[in-house]
Amino acid sequence: MLDARTAYSIQYWLESCPQGYLLHTEFGHERGAREPGFVLENPVVREEAIGTTVQLVVGERAALAASSGLINAAPDAASKAFLATQTLDEARHVEIFTQRLFDLGVKRDELESTIAHHANPHLVRFAEILLEKVDKKDFVAGVVGQNIVLEGLAFSTFEMMQAANRDTNPKFARTLSGTIADERRHVGFGENRIGSLLREQPGKKPEIERMQKDMAYHMLATLADRFRGQSAAMQEARRAIEEQASHGGPTPRSHVWHGTDLSKAEPREMEAVLAETVLKEFKTRLARIGLDYQSPERP
Amino acid sequence: MTLEAGELHERDHEGFLSEVHSFEFWFQSVEGYLHGHPHGVSPSTPFPELAPDRRAALVATLSTYCVGELTALEGASGMIGFAPNRATKIFLATQVADEARHLEVLLHRLAELGVEDAEAGFEARANRHLMAFRERLLAYVVEKDWLAALFAQNVILEAMEFAAFQTHLRTADARTAELLGGVLKDERRHIGFGENALGRHLASHPDDRRRLREVRQSLEPLVFATFEDAALQVGLPAAERPEIARLYLDSVARLGLGT
Amino acid sequence: MREPLLASADFDPAEDAGARDGAARSERRRFVLLDDTGFDEVPAKYRRFYRRWRGPGDVLAENEVLCPVCRVVIRSARELRPGDRVYCMPCMSRLEVVRGEAGRLEAIVRY
Repeated sequence: MLDARTAYSIQYWLESCPQGYLLHTEFGHERGAREPGFVLENPVVREEAIGTTVQLVVGERAALAASSGLINAAPDAASKAFLATQTLDEARHVEIFTQRLFDLGVKRDELESTIAHHANPHLVRFAEILLEKVDKKDFVAGVVGQNIVLEGLAFSTFEMMQAANRDTNPKFARTLSGTIADERRHVGFGENRIGSLLREQPGKKPEIERMQKDMAYHMLATLADRFRGQSAAMQEARRAIEEQASHGGPTPRSHVWHGTDLSKAEPREMEAVLAETVLKEFKTRLARIGLDYQSPERP
Repeated sequence: MTLEAGELHERDHEGFLSEVHSFEFWFQSVEGYLHGHPHGVSPSTPFPELAPDRRAALVATLSTYCVGELTALEGASGMIGFAPNRATKIFLATQVADEARHLEVLLHRLAELGVEDAEAGFEARANRHLMAFRERLLAYVVEKDWLAALFAQNVILEAMEFAAFQTHLRTADARTAELLGGVLKDERRHIGFGENALGRHLASHPDDRRRLREVRQSLEPLVFATFEDAALQVGLPAAERPEIARLYLDSVARLGLGT
Repeated sequence: MREPLLASADFDPAEDAGARDGAARSERRRFVLLDDTGFDEVPAKYRRFYRRWRGPGDVLAENEVLCPVCRVVIRSARELRPGDRVYCMPCMSRLEVVRGEAGRLEAIVRY
């Protein structure tokens, strides 16, 4: 049986990640894979893809800062080792999503201005709340914020995006499936390690629950902004996919994710199913570590 | 940007740096020497019988190395938060994983040597000068003093480790030598990164040399005391001891930080 | 990969300094770097550009220079001369080849 010391080790990570599902990939996808024509050639779709990818870069930058910042606060060598692997995972995510921006045509000297232009202010605030805990070396709050709230959001978002891109953009879908595999380890660590620490420090619960409520509010606001503002781009993307299919490109199939057909759903439906899925996951995970989920106001 | 191997030395500097600071480069580099080496050692490498006094000395030495690696892990991870750009953050993230691996393989070797709960006791067995150095380095990290932290971590500490491991390799048993050999391969990246990053900075901010000389002067007594103790512990002949600090002194001289 | 300048329509190779010393470059000895040197610290496609240094008794070939930062031998596909630039991937340094005091080729770091 895999004990915590082994599961959190660098050796385990090396064998499962770089020597496992990342083998023979470059920037997380098959070598030589390209973004499809309907993304690169359609300015509306391309702009939407850049906007979405920027949110992923912002989230992963926060995760990189948080996981590296928590190493010094970790109470034992196994947790430090795990967070070291997570730090490298998050750095890889920053790199592959940044590379996607370059693949989408963002010039290297325009990277930061592109990110500043598209970054959702609620997502930025979401990250700031987390990093305030990390700066204070609050290990328990930091891991809940990072490995349960932030990673939980990323996990479901990546799953939905992966399902939506499986047929029409295999390069991006493959990139996402590698990050999902990483996030699985991260959320697992969050639950397993923090569950025991919280039992030892029950007094920390109210403060952590408050943080979760604030983060959840800004997460919902981010999703609302992204989906509600992208209706036209989404329709244009679907039209471009149909057009590409009529010229021999991949035919989009229906992908039902948590009861919603992602190939046909309206932006509001997609926002709703993602928000509900993430919040449901939060509630379940928080309950398992002994925290009560706090409902935020609806933005 | 991926470079074409056929034209390696004719590439532009920016493209070169962009590649070598990436996760992809790190991943393909370590794959060459870590694959098939669980905990840094080939499964076929024999377990040597060590005399009690040699075993005790090795346990003390490996414990000091553990402190060095723990310091480097805490230092490198803490520096990511205030590193000046994305490529530097990503490079430091690869260094964090390297340092955590080093700590892990050293603890594993201590366990092979029969040390019970190696993690709990290594700080108590470690060199006191290195413990003092650790405190100073982590203070720079807490203060988010990028230049001082980078100098202390990637020039001084890494050079100290590189020299100690390289020297120790000559007299170590087969398992320890193989493990240290793998660690040295990582250290090459860390040392090079530190010297080059500082060198690029100092080229455009020459006045910062004064401040780094002060850092050097305040840390050097601890560095040389640690070198001296390490040389004694691994049985290096007195005539060869000045050599152990050569790598560090050469690096400092190249950066224009000599006295 | 093509040199970006060569892609430009108004580029005149005759005016390019690099082209002017092209003739001198072509006179240099060329070396085939296909052998496996046993160096395993960089991605496989770059390994032929490096080998381990065997200590003070090691004799460097005309296409080799020692990295002063990490002490790995850097190899080029052509004979090296003072002024050449080489990269040390294991320690990520950019180096310039110079003639040392002893008359041998050495490398200095160009940050």
